[in-house]
Amino acid sequence: MLSCARLAALQQLEYRFNLLADTLIQPTIVGLVEITLWLAFFNSTGETTLMGYGREYYLAYAFWAAFISRISTSWMYETMMIEEVETGSINAILTRPVSFFEYYLGQLMGYKALTTSVSILVPVIICLFMNLPVELVRLPLAIALVFYYLILVHIISMIIASLGFFFTRIHHLTVAKNITLWMFTGEFFPLDLAPEPFRSWLIALPFSSAVYRPVGYLTGRLGPSTIWEGFLSISAGILVFGALSSWLWHIGRRRYSGTGA
Amino acid sequence: MVSIETQDLTRSYETYKKAEGLWKSIEGLWARETLQKTALHPTTLRIESGQIVGLVGSNGAGKTTLLKLLSGLIHPTSGSAKVLGYEPAARKPDFLKRISILLGQKNQLWWDLPAADSYDLLGKIYELDRTKAKKRVADLADMLGCTSQLHVQLRRLSLGERMKMEIIGALLHEPEVLFLDEPTIGLDIISQTTIREFLASYVKERHPTVILTSHYMDDISLLADRLLLISQGQIVFDGAVESFMARAESRQTLSFKFMQPPEKDLEVAPGFMITAGTRAVTKELPATEIGEVLKNVMHVSPIQEIKIEEVEFEDVIRQFMQQDAQLRAPRGPATT
Repeated sequence: MLSCARLAALQQLEYRFNLLADTLIQPTIVGLVEITLWLAFFNSTGETTLMGYGREYYLAYAFWAAFISRISTSWMYETMMIEEVETGSINAILTRPVSFFEYYLGQLMGYKALTTSVSILVPVIICLFMNLPVELVRLPLAIALVFYYLILVHIISMIIASLGFFFTRIHHLTVAKNITLWMFTGEFFPLDLAPEPFRSWLIALPFSSAVYRPVGYLTGRLGPSTIWEGFLSISAGILVFGALSSWLWHIGRRRYSGTGA
Repeated sequence: MVSIETQDLTRSYETYKKAEGLWKSIEGLWARETLQKTALHPTTLRIESGQIVGLVGSNGAGKTTLLKLLSGLIHPTSGSAKVLGYEPAARKPDFLKRISILLGQKNQLWWDLPAADSYDLLGKIYELDRTKAKKRVADLADMLGCTSQLHVQLRRLSLGERMKMEIIGALLHEPEVLFLDEPTIGLDIISQTTIREFLASYVKERHPTVILTSHYMDDISLLADRLLLISQGQIVFDGAVESFMARAESRQTLSFKFMQPPEKDLEVAPGFMITAGTRAVTKELPATEIGEVLKNVMHVSPIQEIKIEEVEFEDVIRQFMQQDAQLRAPRGPATT
């Protein structure tokens, strides 16, 4: 695992500009877009609070959500995993004493550790500079939850990559899944703004641990219990999606022709 | 001791028939005609430890499918295989640590990294002693003459240099069974020769069990001591390389050009007619007849240019099929 994490770091450091774009430029732009949307909302409605929280709170949420959601998504590695199956380059992994799951989980974690250590400084500095609400002492636990969530993210990527054994081209499924999760994670808006019964459902699902729980906890909207509930919810998700992933992988491997799906 | 053993090992694929045209493609959204293709008919094999087996056949004959089954890359449709006592498709780590497969047409090292970094990672994957692994890389790189490229990113290397790096990666953990799929494909003559000679000295020194596929007769003749000829998913020849090479060498292609074309039809050998007015002639003949034919031809008219070539390997295979029909089973198991 550690070797695979190191591999990811080595590969990413090879392309400096790409790393810079992914680590800083992309989440900053997303953060600015979301801040603009919230400013537009408050300015156009004339409201100063929403659900008991002021404008600064939502600005802090939007900026942190942009960065935390970059950590808790796996576009790049999921695409790589799908391509491995589609093109047959997975052969190089299957003939070595390492599991496909472990190989890519190690890389995902290594890559996220590298990028997070840099990109997280941006919202910290912005919040301090703009005097936005944030409890930085809570940052380690919030990040720990997001990294635990990455295991679930990776299992879902395994499910999608395994579907490649059956359907050959499945890239658009990644797009559809990520757009769905965009809503479910709380990146778009704090999940407690949703009407019941959706609110309870969305919060109970493990996907809320990607953005809503850690950002709510960091910005003071949610208490410590939300983090522990998040760990529990993710564990349940790992069990359910893990079983599905394992089943699909084993059936898919039996169909695999060794030349690409 | 037997390293590799298969019993009625078979692999089939399901694919679908792609009909032509837009409307048929739209129809294909809900109705697709599936096709079954047998890439490997039931095959029974025994390969002793330390044996070097050349696996030859035309494109799509089933060579790579057999290698992929034996290395655990794909599952058999039916039948069984044992390699070093393991079922390959189970992909047990202990099994994977003892074998290696080199696919000449695919990169197995990491594209973005220098080979040295890839070997470092491979050393960890195979749980090798770091110092010993580094020494082994240095020794292999020295033998292949590529030490100076170890710290260059794989993507920046030429095809021949990349293949050398791939070979080091495949041999790093000293595999007992080595599957080499077209290791010299696409390489220039110098790289081909370097790799061929390296592999020859390696197998002589280390005695791994090797299955080698190649379209180059030189690879097979230099490295292999047993030959399996595979056609349409069936093994149709299994024997010593020398006996097959004798067939290959028994025919040559003779090309020549007359200074003046003959004025009348000539029979220069039984069944070999040269029609009047023909200036350039190319004919494939048994090697033993070439001298007699040339002697007869030179009586007709002075020769402007002449060329004698070995028959293409693919042609030898074709001829083998035609001449040894009794070895070719149209359907059913190929037992060796």
